[in-house]
Amino acid sequence: MRRERAGTEAAFLRGEVGVDGVATGREERDEAEVERDRAREQFLRGRTWLGREFLTWLLWRSESGDPLAEWESAGVVVLFTGRLVLRGIAGDVTEISARGALVGYAEQVRRALDAGLLVHGARLRLTHGEQVYEVTVDAEFLDVRAARMPEVLKEQEDDRTLERLYLTEQLSGMLDALLAAFIQVRTSASWMQEIVPAMQRWMTRAPRHPA
Amino acid sequence: MPILRGAVTFSRFRVGSGDPSGTDTRRWLVQGLRKKAFAPLDLGCAGEDRSAGFVELERTDATAFGPDLFQGEYALFGYRIDAVRVPAAALRRELEQWAATFRVEKGRAPVRGERTAQREALRDALRQRVVPTTRVHDVSWNLKLRELSIWAASRKAVEEVAAALEEALGADLHPLTPSASAKLGGVPDDALAPTPALMGPGFGAHEVDHEA
Repeated sequence: MRRERAGTEAAFLRGEVGVDGVATGREERDEAEVERDRAREQFLRGRTWLGREFLTWLLWRSESGDPLAEWESAGVVVLFTGRLVLRGIAGDVTEISARGALVGYAEQVRRALDAGLLVHGARLRLTHGEQVYEVTVDAEFLDVRAARMPEVLKEQEDDRTLERLYLTEQLSGMLDALLAAFIQVRTSASWMQEIVPAMQRWMTRAPRHPA
Repeated sequence: MPILRGAVTFSRFRVGSGDPSGTDTRRWLVQGLRKKAFAPLDLGCAGEDRSAGFVELERTDATAFGPDLFQGEYALFGYRIDAVRVPAAALRRELEQWAATFRVEKGRAPVRGERTAQREALRDALRQRVVPTTRVHDVSWNLKLRELSIWAASRKAVEEVAAALEEALGADLHPLTPSASAKLGGVPDDALAPTPALMGPGFGAHEVDHEA
C-alpha cells in the first residue's frame, strides 16, 4: 500500500497525474511538429542551407550543358544523374526522394523546388576535358561518396596509388571550383536581383512537350 | 584499403595548425601517430571491449610507421578499430538456462545479486569465444596542400578518426563543408544567411535568428 502511494506521488511530481491521481492528459507532441523540428534541425546544422542552395543553383545552371567552372585550364560540365533528394523546412512535405536517369530536370522536381524544397543530395557526373567522374554529394558536408573515377593507367602498385590519389584530388578540386563559383555569385548583388528570380522562373516553367 | 582499391568515399578536411615550425614535419607526424598507435585488444582484461588507434596502411597490424608512410606528397595510414561484442540474445539464453538449473537445485529463484554476478561471469565466458570485429579507415594526407581525407562512409567513424588525429598531433582539422569553405574564402557570416525566396512561403527569418 505504501509502495503504491509512493508511486502515485512520484507520478504526480513527474507531472503525469493530477492531485486526484488521474492522468493529466498531457498531449503527445504532434507528429507533424516533431517532423518539422527535425527538418529545421537538419537545415540549421552546420548551415546546411548553404549547401542546399549550392546544389539547387548547380542543378539550375547544369541544364544548359555549359561548363560551370574552370579547373586546371579546362571547364567542368555538370550533369545530375540518378537519385536526387530534396529537403525543406516549410510546408507539409519535408523530404522527397526522386529516382530516374535525368530526374533532376523533370517537371515534378522543379515543382517541388518551387514549393520551397532544395536539393540536399545528388549524384553528379562531372566532365573535365576527356575525363568523366561520377560522385554522390550531400549538402551538409559535401563529402565524396561512391565516386567513379577515370581508369587508372599506371601499372606499378605505388604509381597506381598515387594516380588514384591524384584523381581524387582532381575530383575534390572540381567540387571546390564549383563551390567557389557559387559563393562568388551568392555573395554578389546579382544573387537577389537576377539569379534567384531566374531560378524561380525556371522552377515554374511549363513543361516542354515533344513536337 | 579503399585508398588502394574499391569504393571511393571520403570526407575532406583542411589541416589548420599543428606542425610547429622548425620541426621536421615527417618526424612530427610519425611521433604523433605512434602516440596513438593501435594496441591489440586484451581479451583477458574484462573491461576492455574496444581498441582503436593508428596503423600502417598496408599492414594493419603494424605500427612502426617507417618510410612506407610517405608516398610523394602524401602521408598514408589507417585507423583501426577492434571491438568485441557479446551477443545479447546468447547472454540472455545462457542466463535463463542457468536460472532454470538454479531453481531446480536450490528450490528458489536466484535473487537479483546472484543474477547480476552470474550475468557478469557468463559475459566474460562468452567474450572469450567471440571473435573481435576489425574495421580499418584509411587516411590520406597531402602534406603540401594541408588537405586530409578520411576514407569512411560513416560520419561517426569520420568524427572519431578526426578527433584522434587532433589529439595525437595537436592539429586542427576543419571539415570542408560549404559553409566552412566560404569562411576560409573570407566570406563574412552575415553574407551566408538563407535566401528566403528559395525556402517556400512558410519560411520566416526567425528560423535562423540564433544561427545566422
